[in-house]
Amino acid sequence: MSTSVSQAAPTPTEEVRTARQRRLIRRLNRNNAIASSLLWLVTAMVTVLFATIIIYIVISGLPAFVTGTFYGTGAGGIAAELFNTFYILILTELFLFPISLAAAIFLVEYTRQGLFVTLIHFAAETLAGVPSLVLGMFGFLLFSIDLHMGISRLAGALTLLCLNFPIALRLFESALNAVPRELREGGLALGATRWRMIRTVVLPSALPGIITGLILTAGKIIGEAAALLFTMGTNNPNDVFTLDPRIASDTLTIHLYYLKQTGIGTSGLGATGEAALDAGLAATLIILLLLINIAARMVGRQIERKLTAA
Amino acid sequence: MQYSQRGRLNDQIARAVCFVCAILLVAVIIAVFFFIGSKSFKIFSEGGNPKTFFTIDNWDPTGVNDPNGNPTYGGAGLLLGSIVITLGSIIIVTPLALFTAVFFTEMAPRWLVRLLQPLIEIFTGVPSVVIGFLGLTVLVPLLSRFITPFAASLAIEGATAGYGWGSAILVLVVMVLPTVLSVSIDSLRAVPDGVREASLALGSTRWQMMRKAVIPAASTGLGTAVVLGMTRAIGETLAVALVLNGSSLPDKLFSLGALFQPNVNVTAQIAQNFGEAVGTPAEDAYWTLAFVLLIISFLFICVSRYLASRSVYK
Repeated sequence: MSTSVSQAAPTPTEEVRTARQRRLIRRLNRNNAIASSLLWLVTAMVTVLFATIIIYIVISGLPAFVTGTFYGTGAGGIAAELFNTFYILILTELFLFPISLAAAIFLVEYTRQGLFVTLIHFAAETLAGVPSLVLGMFGFLLFSIDLHMGISRLAGALTLLCLNFPIALRLFESALNAVPRELREGGLALGATRWRMIRTVVLPSALPGIITGLILTAGKIIGEAAALLFTMGTNNPNDVFTLDPRIASDTLTIHLYYLKQTGIGTSGLGATGEAALDAGLAATLIILLLLINIAARMVGRQIERKLTAA
Repeated sequence: MQYSQRGRLNDQIARAVCFVCAILLVAVIIAVFFFIGSKSFKIFSEGGNPKTFFTIDNWDPTGVNDPNGNPTYGGAGLLLGSIVITLGSIIIVTPLALFTAVFFTEMAPRWLVRLLQPLIEIFTGVPSVVIGFLGLTVLVPLLSRFITPFAASLAIEGATAGYGWGSAILVLVVMVLPTVLSVSIDSLRAVPDGVREASLALGSTRWQMMRKAVIPAASTGLGTAVVLGMTRAIGETLAVALVLNGSSLPDKLFSLGALFQPNVNVTAQIAQNFGEAVGTPAEDAYWTLAFVLLIISFLFICVSRYLASRSVYK
């Protein structure tokens, strides 16, 4: 319409219009350039921040790593905390892994999408949103006091079970959901019961995903501290290297918090020695976390290879 | 015959066991609300006033500051601390996370995505104690160096300058950013490519496409990300406790100096004093604080669920 009019009579308004159009295009292009560079800038900032923090923690921990006492059981050593961290990790996974896998199996394999699944998911999200400190207080009340477990490793592990249940459930659910429908139908069509089909078809196919989930929850358990503050205590008994779940003990995270908060100056190492120990603890935690992430990634790659090969 | 019967029995048993495990999750969350809730109203029958609990700023459950040794339960200051640092950090985190997420899904070259993805995942799992430790050993001295010259004009003590809400907000930014970022990225990725292509086909620039098509399409998901970040921020304990380092609100609350001197919030107060309060009458006051935190996080979760239920692309 407008072109035919303009062809008939090229008016000044037409020039104005094209000039306006050109200006609009220029403005839009300029905005686009500004926005793009802004996005680049912010992302670069965030990336540098993350990378700097991780590298800084690892590097500042290096001086502690080369001292002999760091791996001992003395005041400047972390042997006891390292042992406790892995102890509590294994004890928690002993509860967490079967329970949350079973819950995930029920949600994915045994029941249809509906009100019940929505209810469980709502409960999981609510539990995931409960601050870990509050969950720690709940664990103290229920496990330590009402169930007479006291401040103990068992109470700590059970609290961590409550804390990590929703995360583990979600990870295992997505691992099971990734198994193709046809495999299940094939198993059922051969006359297997649902449980036999799950055991022989679904679980083996979902195994890499399940292991990835297991590794990721391990990272959460190692890094947790607030929930253990009131359930597992901040101090070690003398004979810490036992498998007794009834004793109180600390972990790497709790020890770091204790050294920086209530126990400041109690280690008898002096300010510089204590600073080195703190930095070493932080670096140990980060390195454990990096190892866990690499392990999870390698397992993940294994799945990919398996899927593409099949 | 025998065999198939046993198989069916096994199936029934497995189903029942799995069902019990799934129900356990619901039992845990109900137990959390029941146990903490049942403890939390005790102080109001022991002389605590529900009205002044939220309006008075004088947290003294053991009565040490009172000449007669009478306890006072005024949690307003603690709650104010939690609200200030949560809002402060989320105001900084939201644009950072949004920009990075948009860049990540719309513009980033593939090699950068492959580099950033693991970095974000690793950072999501960094223990809060480690971030708090870093805040204490790096951020607080740094802030202190900037603030100390102005200590007199801000009316704060030079020796403890640097601790407080300011550093707590910055520590929370680092804690919350990866969470908000990864949820935002997920929600932007859920927007189908058709939306982008349609917008570009109409002649929009890339920025117009992002601003007018992709971000509105993902808005509810981005809202969920922010609310989840707030849930994480308000419950964050040890990182915040290490850099707050205070026992009461500063005298001059409505000044710039209040950001840079030792201060309080709910979680730090519980973490530092609950252990000692156990078994004394003061214990009940901390249960009330915990219940308030629980309710706030529950409300946040409800909001995020509501937002998620309204999103078009999942």
